[in-house]
Amino acid sequence: MSEPAVEVKNLTKVFSLGLRKEYVVAVDNLSFEVKAGEVYGLIGPNGSGKSTTMKVVLGLMAASKGSAKVFGLDSGDIRARNEIGFLPENPYFYKHLSGAETLRFYGKLCGLKGAALKDRIGELLKLVDLEGAANRRLAGYSKGMLQRIGLAQSLIQNPRLVILDEPTAGVDPVGSRQIRDLIMRLRDEGYTVFLCSHLLEQVQEVCDRVGIIFKGRMRREGTLDELIEIENQTSMTIENATPELIAGIHELIRSSKGARLIEEGHSRTSLEHLFIQIAERNREGES
Amino acid sequence: MSETPTTPAESTPRTTPRAAGKSVPIFSIGRVHTIASSTVTQLVRMKTFYFLLAFALVVVAVGNFNIPATPAKELSMIKKVAFGTMDIFAWLFAIVATALLIPKDVEDRTLYTILAKPVRRIEYLLGKLGGVLAVIAISLVAMYAICAAVIFSRESLFVSAEYQSMVASGQYTGAEIEEQLSLIRSQGLRAELGIAVLASFFKAAVVAVVTIFLSTFASSSLFTIIVSVLLFLIGHAHHMASSFWLDESGNSVLVQMLVKVVKVLIPNYQLFSFSEGIVQGEAVVAALVWQMGGLTSGYLIVFLLLSLLVFVDKEF
Ligand SMILES: Nc1ncnc2c1ncn2[C@@H]1O[C@H](COP(=O)(O)OP(=O)(O)O)[C@@H](O)[C@H]1O
Ligand SMILES: [Mg+2]
Repeated sequence: MSEPAVEVKNLTKVFSLGLRKEYVVAVDNLSFEVKAGEVYGLIGPNGSGKSTTMKVVLGLMAASKGSAKVFGLDSGDIRARNEIGFLPENPYFYKHLSGAETLRFYGKLCGLKGAALKDRIGELLKLVDLEGAANRRLAGYSKGMLQRIGLAQSLIQNPRLVILDEPTAGVDPVGSRQIRDLIMRLRDEGYTVFLCSHLLEQVQEVCDRVGIIFKGRMRREGTLDELIEIENQTSMTIENATPELIAGIHELIRSSKGARLIEEGHSRTSLEHLFIQIAERNREGES
Repeated sequence: MSETPTTPAESTPRTTPRAAGKSVPIFSIGRVHTIASSTVTQLVRMKTFYFLLAFALVVVAVGNFNIPATPAKELSMIKKVAFGTMDIFAWLFAIVATALLIPKDVEDRTLYTILAKPVRRIEYLLGKLGGVLAVIAISLVAMYAICAAVIFSRESLFVSAEYQSMVASGQYTGAEIEEQLSLIRSQGLRAELGIAVLASFFKAAVVAVVTIFLSTFASSSLFTIIVSVLLFLIGHAHHMASSFWLDESGNSVLVQMLVKVVKVLIPNYQLFSFSEGIVQGEAVVAALVWQMGGLTSGYLIVFLLLSLLVFVDKEF
């Protein structure tokens, strides 16, 4: 099919600290692809190299080794950047500008002008539900509003790919819900979304595929179902189960040889479990 | 009303991925202009122009100060104060505004969002420089207008008062009266004063580009401001400083080379000081003005290239 939206190959990024020969390997031989039209989530704890990977993809940083491509173009190519909308982690825009002025500024940077720009600004303000605050300065925006104007800003030139760094971090549950709904809308409109987060439960529902990154390395990757599925385990979700039915199932499990009930309950948290497992396994491996 | 049947949302296949956008120009004056005008907006909303109000008050106050001096001396004093203030405003503003704006963009990560758009780093630097210079130019023109109005009103007042008193005394010939009046006019409003304003602007432009260069690698605004002011002061004693260093001829060739490089890299701000003479009524030497223009362009190009050299591979 079409070429991947993002193609990261054997990416390594090393930061040297100060004058001494200390260094940090922020990203370690990382390879993955984001296919056109999908929502891909890179998840991992703070400091695992997610932001660094995104910055290399954007061309804000150079790779120490390996490469990153966007729609077949080298990252850092000005044409590649025209295809990308980016929302950085904890973004700050010019506080002295209003929401509409912010969008105008970024729109002009992308070469939009006149009526086309005006229409696009109106469209995006509506999309992110900030029409009422369009003429208020960003200094008075809440965190959730800032994230939404940031999302609108990233979409201004109608890019093919949207890169979101921790889009829901620091936003209250309602605001975070709004942002996730927006991401799903973007997916439905054909945008490719590449996001990263340390908030697993939140990302879980919007991502088609996720990569779990820890200490700069890809630990697991796949569709959500694949990741959650564990080969020798089966989970059931039963509607309207009576206590008798559950007791019966427990009885059946007990009486069948080798089978064991590991857990019961909501399956939503299993991705989180997997993640913690991986983190712990790697910590043990090191010490 | 066209009612096209739609399949339920769940079963709709995803829309096909979006098509590629249109191409982007390699270099765009429009993007430079966008960044420059946003810088101007930023500085205006930081209430920069309130300074002009203070300036107007000072100049009007000095203009109405009744000092026991000849009219020519009084005009000369007004000019000294006004043009001196304009000059200080221009270079100090060039340093402070430039040193605050770029590091702030880096700190606030606003720079990420700008450089993530199809914007070249040189366009960003040019835009910031252009914005700061535009504010300086607007301020200088406004200050010049204020001070021209004050000088002109004082000058016409003095001229008519002198004329009346000389005629009234009946002791002077027409030629003598004319001579006296032209003495006053020589300290009044003359077109050449514009050259002095231009000199302040050129100096501020060089100061701004040096500050941009410093802020591409400095990690704090404070450091940038201090070093830039230091360079400004050294640049005023350029002749003295370079002869002092170059006299150490006992040094190795390497050190001498280094001194030469440093000498070229510290702009010679003394070159712009001929404007003080213009303010005091000296004739304008055209050659000096051209030299000043040429050097300013030279410094702008060299320092922009140096800044780009650092900035182009900078990681944030
Ligand atoms: N500019 C930098 N200089 C030095 N170290 C850095 C820099 N940026 C990130 N790091 C280090 O690289 C690692 C990964 O950081 P980051 O990519 O920001 O992680 P994440 O986004 O997953 O939280 C961290 O250990 C961080 O300290
Ligand atoms: Mg991060």
